[in-house]
Amino acid sequence: MLKKLFYFLLILSGTQLFISCGGCSDKKSKSGDALTLNDSLISDAPLKLSEDIMGEVIQNISSPVEMANLIKSSGAEFSQRILNNPDNVSRYETSYKRALNLGVFSADLGYINIYDKNNVVVSYLLAVKNLADGIRVGQFFDFNALRRMASNSTNLDSLMEMSVTSFNKMDSYLRDQNRSNVSTLIVTGTWIEGLYIASSVVKETKSKELAIRIAEQKNIIDILEIILSNYISEPNFATLVEDIRELKAAYAPIRITTELAEPKRIEKDGTLIVIQDEISTVHYTEEQLATIMDLISKIRNKIVE
Amino acid sequence: MKKVLLGLILVLSISSFSASAQQCDESLKKQALKEMGDSQYIKDFSIDLRKAKKDMKTGFVKFSVILHSRNQYRFTVVNHPGNPEEVVMQLFDGDRMLISNFEGGKITKAPDFVCRTTKVYHLTFSFRSGEEGCAEAVISLVKQYAEGEL
Repeated sequence: MLKKLFYFLLILSGTQLFISCGGCSDKKSKSGDALTLNDSLISDAPLKLSEDIMGEVIQNISSPVEMANLIKSSGAEFSQRILNNPDNVSRYETSYKRALNLGVFSADLGYINIYDKNNVVVSYLLAVKNLADGIRVGQFFDFNALRRMASNSTNLDSLMEMSVTSFNKMDSYLRDQNRSNVSTLIVTGTWIEGLYIASSVVKETKSKELAIRIAEQKNIIDILEIILSNYISEPNFATLVEDIRELKAAYAPIRITTELAEPKRIEKDGTLIVIQDEISTVHYTEEQLATIMDLISKIRNKIVE
Repeated sequence: MKKVLLGLILVLSISSFSASAQQCDESLKKQALKEMGDSQYIKDFSIDLRKAKKDMKTGFVKFSVILHSRNQYRFTVVNHPGNPEEVVMQLFDGDRMLISNFEGGKITKAPDFVCRTTKVYHLTFSFRSGEEGCAEAVISLVKQYAEGEL
């Protein structure tokens, strides 16, 4: 009896260990360090910001959903012309270029998904896959599942959730590997492309909402400059930081003022809605915005060339 | 033989515990996505509150989040069925609390927040009476208001 129980437990424990090791493959790759890059984006230099703060900041800038939603609600038609071309992927031969353009294509995917353009989504997913593989982080994306979801517009939330989760896992892995600079490049690419698409739509539709959203980024560019400056000793980063600083200078004349209003609380269909009592207003001129949009376009074109 | 058997039972209970912890994340996340309704997923947070030895209260977890003006966000919190009580979520601007799912002695499932200033806010999660447990929170976008609409 005891023997039978022993064998039963042995088999069961083997199965349990096998199942619970489902997420162990990443750790194995880490210890083997098979994921180092030839044109290494691995940094040993001490960071001015701690890895934890970097992680928080990076994960905050990464969602392209809100900008994409705003673009769609501006009434603008979908335009593939303004997106990066998936055929360009083969031209990106360095980790620096691949990481930046991984961000660019992620923002493009957010835009494509919001417009339910299932016919083009696969080529963009493939671009993301090739770039992610190129910087050895492809293992964090289940491309078959993403492709399945992307072909069904009702799965948009699941698709976004999966993309965000994949990004967070990848970011945490990169930080473990002292490769936060790669994550930083990805979010920079995503942010710039989101603003580039928004600028293209503003130029065409004069959407006030989008124009305000672009101007509001004055607060975000400060954060981006801080995280990129961590790596300024690397030549590629030095050029990018220079570009971002030029953009920051263009944002300088924009003023954001705040005033306090009465706090409001509404209960609607059983949901408590709290309306913030602090209201901010963005003050900018058309010329200032035009300068910013031109600079965004210049930086973005440099990234995708 | 008996020792090996005891060892195997120990291994089994440890691996079963870690498997249930994984399930905690996945099933809760699915439920949270379901409960956010028609709103658009933005970001999720896995909350795992553990009590340090000799502590009377659990700690709290804090996340930073950028919210944009004129956006109405929903904060959906789903508790693990094994939690001894429900997790309290609070949104702060600096040290000023803006919203909480715990008001007037009761928990609101998913409060909405209409943001009117784009900046970094802080989200905290904790238990009221120092317990342990896990939960999943999702931030989703309910509506984007036009300028002057609010």
